[in-house]
Amino acid sequence: MAALPRRIVKETQRLMQEPVPGISAVPDESNARYFHVIVTGPEDSPFEGGLFKLELFLPEDYPMSAPKVRFITRIYHPNIDRLGRICLDILKDKWSPALQIRTVLLSIQALLSAPNPDDPLANDVAELWKVNESEAIRNAKEWTRKYAMDN
Amino acid sequence: MEQFEQLLTCAICLDRYRNPKLLPCQHSFCMEPCMEGLVDYVRRQVKCPECRAEHRIPYQGVQGFPTNVTLQRFLELHIEITGELPDPTSGQIMERCNVCSEKAYCSSCQHCEKKICEECKGAHMDILRREIVRINNQIRRGIHRLQDALSMVEKNAQNVQTNSLSVSEEVEEIYRRLTKAVKDRTEYLRGELDRYMSSEVRTLTNLKDNLELEISNILSNCDLADKHINENVPWDDCELMDAKEIFLKTVDFIRNFEYENSDYSRKVRLVLAHDPNQLVLHVAGYGDLNIVNPSNPFGQGNTLQTPSPGLMRSKSDHRLATQFRQQEERPGYYGEGDDSTPTRKFGERANRTGDRYDRYGRSGNDYGEDYDDSSRPSRSSRYRSRYNRHGENDSDTEQSSRVRFSEQQHKERERVLDTEDVARGPLSGITRLADSPRVMKKLQESESGKKKEKEIPTPVPAPQPPKVVPKRPPPQANRQTSEDDEIAKIKKQNKGATTSTETETRHPSVKRDEPEDRHARKTPAPAEATSSAEESDESASTPQQRKAASKTVTPARRTSAEPPKKATRSTSSDSSSSTDSSNSSNAVRNTGAAYTTEEVKQKYLSRGSVDHTADQPSRTRVSSTSSNSSKDKPFQSRFLSNKTTPTPPPAVTKEEDESDSSSEEETSSESESEEPPPKETKEIAKSDIGPLLARSQLARENSTESTRKTSREETAYTAPRSRYGSQREESPVSKYSTRTRQPAPEEEPPKYGYTSRFLNKSKSTAAVQPEEDDKYSSLDDESKYPTSRSRYMALKERRQRLARSKSSHNFNDDDDPDEPLSPTSTNPSAYLASKGYGSASSAMNDLARSRSSHALKSRENSPDRSAGAEKDGAALSSWARYLKNKYGNRSTGKDKDSASSAATPSSASSSAAARRLSLGLPLRSSTELGSSDDDSKNMQGSPTTPTAATAAAAAGIAVATAGTTPRSQYLLKGQKLFEIGSRGSEAGCFTWPRGVAVGPDNHIVVADSSNHRVQVFDASGKFLKEFGTYGNGEGEFDCLAGVAVNRIGQFIIADRYNHRIQVFDPSGRFLRAFGSQGSSDGRFNYPWGITTDALGFIYVCDKENHRVQVFQSDGTFVGKFGSMGNKQGQLEHPHYIAVSNTNRVVVSDCNNHRIQIFDVNGRVISAFGSEGSAEGQFKFPRGVAVDDQGYICVADSGNNRIQIFHPDGTFLKSFGSWGVRDGEFKGLEGVAISSNGHILVCDRENHRIQVF
Repeated sequence: MAALPRRIVKETQRLMQEPVPGISAVPDESNARYFHVIVTGPEDSPFEGGLFKLELFLPEDYPMSAPKVRFITRIYHPNIDRLGRICLDILKDKWSPALQIRTVLLSIQALLSAPNPDDPLANDVAELWKVNESEAIRNAKEWTRKYAMDN
Repeated sequence: MEQFEQLLTCAICLDRYRNPKLLPCQHSFCMEPCMEGLVDYVRRQVKCPECRAEHRIPYQGVQGFPTNVTLQRFLELHIEITGELPDPTSGQIMERCNVCSEKAYCSSCQHCEKKICEECKGAHMDILRREIVRINNQIRRGIHRLQDALSMVEKNAQNVQTNSLSVSEEVEEIYRRLTKAVKDRTEYLRGELDRYMSSEVRTLTNLKDNLELEISNILSNCDLADKHINENVPWDDCELMDAKEIFLKTVDFIRNFEYENSDYSRKVRLVLAHDPNQLVLHVAGYGDLNIVNPSNPFGQGNTLQTPSPGLMRSKSDHRLATQFRQQEERPGYYGEGDDSTPTRKFGERANRTGDRYDRYGRSGNDYGEDYDDSSRPSRSSRYRSRYNRHGENDSDTEQSSRVRFSEQQHKERERVLDTEDVARGPLSGITRLADSPRVMKKLQESESGKKKEKEIPTPVPAPQPPKVVPKRPPPQANRQTSEDDEIAKIKKQNKGATTSTETETRHPSVKRDEPEDRHARKTPAPAEATSSAEESDESASTPQQRKAASKTVTPARRTSAEPPKKATRSTSSDSSSSTDSSNSSNAVRNTGAAYTTEEVKQKYLSRGSVDHTADQPSRTRVSSTSSNSSKDKPFQSRFLSNKTTPTPPPAVTKEEDESDSSSEEETSSESESEEPPPKETKEIAKSDIGPLLARSQLARENSTESTRKTSREETAYTAPRSRYGSQREESPVSKYSTRTRQPAPEEEPPKYGYTSRFLNKSKSTAAVQPEEDDKYSSLDDESKYPTSRSRYMALKERRQRLARSKSSHNFNDDDDPDEPLSPTSTNPSAYLASKGYGSASSAMNDLARSRSSHALKSRENSPDRSAGAEKDGAALSSWARYLKNKYGNRSTGKDKDSASSAATPSSASSSAAARRLSLGLPLRSSTELGSSDDDSKNMQGSPTTPTAATAAAAAGIAVATAGTTPRSQYLLKGQKLFEIGSRGSEAGCFTWPRGVAVGPDNHIVVADSSNHRVQVFDASGKFLKEFGTYGNGEGEFDCLAGVAVNRIGQFIIADRYNHRIQVFDPSGRFLRAFGSQGSSDGRFNYPWGITTDALGFIYVCDKENHRVQVFQSDGTFVGKFGSMGNKQGQLEHPHYIAVSNTNRVVVSDCNNHRIQIFDVNGRVISAFGSEGSAEGQFKFPRGVAVDDQGYICVADSGNNRIQIFHPDGTFLKSFGSWGVRDGEFKGLEGVAISSNGHILVCDRENHRIQVF
């Protein structure tokens, strides 16, 4: 019911007008706070070539609190769990109102390039990543091919 | 540059910096809301979003951070460079929105009179917009009443004319007869006298001659005897004897001759049968005009009287109304719905300044004064004055406010739409929106955009107050001047004609004996009809009418050789056609919305003098016509004197045309009709100054004018014509009678029929009609403007006053226990007043908080309530919050009110009465005028009874359609209109249909219970769609029971065996479900009936829990009431539920065989019914429905009948019995009442829906 805050409107507009390469975020038709996001896997990462769907929701007090972001496409990543939840500091305690949707998504994209197995969310993945990175990367590539390539 | 701009952009709001505050880390952010949002109040720290540095907050709060002056300079510089408009909010201070409590740049909202944020304001404006639309619909639906009135007026005019005509003819005939009698007698007497005299003289001369002869004879005898009877002459004896005899005879004769003097001295005398003085007296006063008052002034089938309830004030949003009430206690109120600003706040909105945007506010008192004194003096016609009078009485309608707007008292809110120069409706004072420069401007501005907003009277105020003002004057000025000029022009041309522009006094045409008058009178019938029709709308129809009128004239005028039939035909036909056309055109025209964009635009343009072409013709036309008319001076002056207003032109033109053309082409009188006039009139219609309403005002004038016109025509054709008119009905004696008589017969009947009426009408129409008109217009207004309620409140005072002062007879008429409508309309205020705001508000609060608890019971507002409310607000859905804020915050104030409630109710009731008078009386038949008194009493007694009008949208729709008096309507019920369905599982078939509801557009929504689906039909019963299947998943049902459609078209379904409520969007897609089996709050045990109120609250009959639960539209539990039992307020197997637009919650307490009525807080207002099968008794009542006027329809399932009750619970009507045929039932379930007054009945065992 409440009208959309100007900031969200602005961000949305800007996302539409100047999309970030490799990222698309489209607000849901019925809920302007809900975005359908597609992030391409960064080059030189095991996720290259994949299209990863995410959902992003701007809570009521956005930008004072962080958006909720979740991977919908399955992904093999030490900081992303089976449910697609993302372990990323800026989505949690390091959130700052100065961040925006685009920056968040860029951060997520960066997270794909630079997995951080030391701060794992998916422990098994992180374990493997630490123990046998190439294996892990292979898995990641496979998953990417399996889940993120077709659609 | 882009980077520059980026530097000026706050990282948080992504907007240009507003009051940038510099953090110690050198990052800057807007003070509010950005910086404030960063504050960690617990640690009194602020964390820089850019560098995450944490800073202690100064003692004064974030305000204490230094302002980034450099940045500000840059901002200014940037503004200078780019020339962009300064931030409109710069310099403003953020405040808490009084509605949503968010900090924002607030501006005052005319709707609620609070300072609120843009967002809420938008919502309010939306509300207003919707209401306007709705009311506009009502107006459209109700406009026919005016049109009917118009046609009545026309008819009446005609009647008046025919009547007077006939009377004058009668007079004429009497005159003729009398003179003839006198003449005949005189001649006879004279002849007798002559005869007598001559014979007498003759005999006398004879006698004289004889006497002379005798004398000469005798004398000669004497002489002879003297001379010759002597000795000188020898006479013989015989001769002497004879001579002696002769002389003896002579002596004898002379002696005996006696002149009989007496014989010849007799005198002739005129003997009068009657005393001549008497006779003269008799003759002198041989007749009188008796003006008969019909017993029923409203009588004559005059449609005016049936007011549609639909036009009554919009009842929507009773809560708002309540608020208003409160407001009215303050001096200001606002009035008019013109501005589409949203919800007025109930509150305390500090007026920003007493500036013009501020409320309309005058207390009711001013009203009257305004009316009389200030409203433009120019219209001093008696209509106007009468109107005004009424206005004082009744109008809480917008119009009244409208009327007065010219003079603004300091406190009043300026009506942005008012333009003084604009002509207003004479009766209602309604201006044409399109005449408002402001509106035009708006429209032009948004030309590209939405037409919808056309009607929205520029909500404007808030954002650019300053701008608005300057804008206004110029157009106005232009307008005025032009108008004036035109008038001046006309005047000049008419100079012969009298100058009293303003005096609209009407000619008492009845009494004139002069031939001209007679003509005038004669012709007017058609002419007037036309003109009146025309005035109301200057559509194309007018020309035709005119034509027709003229046409009729022409043939008659023509030679007697022409078949009289034609004349008659044309007259009659034209009059009828004129009415028709006028009606139809009216339909389009009268509603405000009727103006096409084009028109509006054109109007605008013309006004703006951008495009004068449209105007020009008409104007020139006018002038020419007027000049023409001046030629006809004698007549004109006589007739014109009445009105010189600008409107006449159309008529004149036409006339002119006709007269010209007719003279030329007398034979082809018909052809003229097709000619230019229509176009012209149209142009006029558009460009003409007089807006529609103004026109209607001028109706009077026009009619006069038409008379004038006719007279003029007559003069042209003079003698025959006039004679024709006068003699029309005369006895054969008159030379023209043959010709003229034909028309007469046709016209006669009406004439006579109306005689008394006519006369009386001359008095009463003026008196009565205006009133009615007022009301109408007022109704319209108010319906137009959703906010009328507020106005209502404002007026309440006044009304009271008036009510008191008003003569009581009106009241008498009105008294009728049943009338539901006015109560509702008035109720809100009364309700609120009596109840005290507190309760309402507290209720709201409670509802809002009920989440956490025990809502409904606690009615006292604790001081912290408002605070609590705010807090709650955060947690609630925005809608709920919105509501809560709206209502909740005021609780404290309300409580106070409640203290004074005792006083208020009475006033409310009186006002209610007054209101009824004003609105209800004319609108509906007297019987129905019913119970407002009662209701008001009720209000006093139990404040909650009538409750405020939630009416809202649903009501609005219903109201409008319910146009006719529901009571009579219901009395006629019982005949099945149509039915839907039969047993089966295909589309359009049912298996045990249970719930039924009415959706938007009167769609019929049926809970097809054992098919586990919902079916939707259109208003005529055509299958539209279905959704749902068996199951317990989303969108699946298990023997659903109740259905409801909320005001945004969502379907709310009581999924009975799944013990939950499901909500579907208007297209039938599942939205959400809530509830599960159980008996705690928010759980159900076989939920059955369901309904929703105007605010979207969902009421569920939780059957096996013997209670009613209330939810927010999102499913949040709000409250519950009822428990197992048969005492007051207890329920046993409540089945169905309905909420009236006055927020009375009607529950069918099935196993207690009664209907209970609760207020929204669950307090019992009343109950009626007991077990049995007499009228007013029930056996297991199930479905209940309430119409927009509060009439309650109950499906008395055990008796297999439908019963209809007055709002107060008294029995009105029942119909139906057990069976399978039409109008018979087997196992009744839900009922619903559609907005068009149809009763939809779920006939379960017959697997059908019957519509009555």
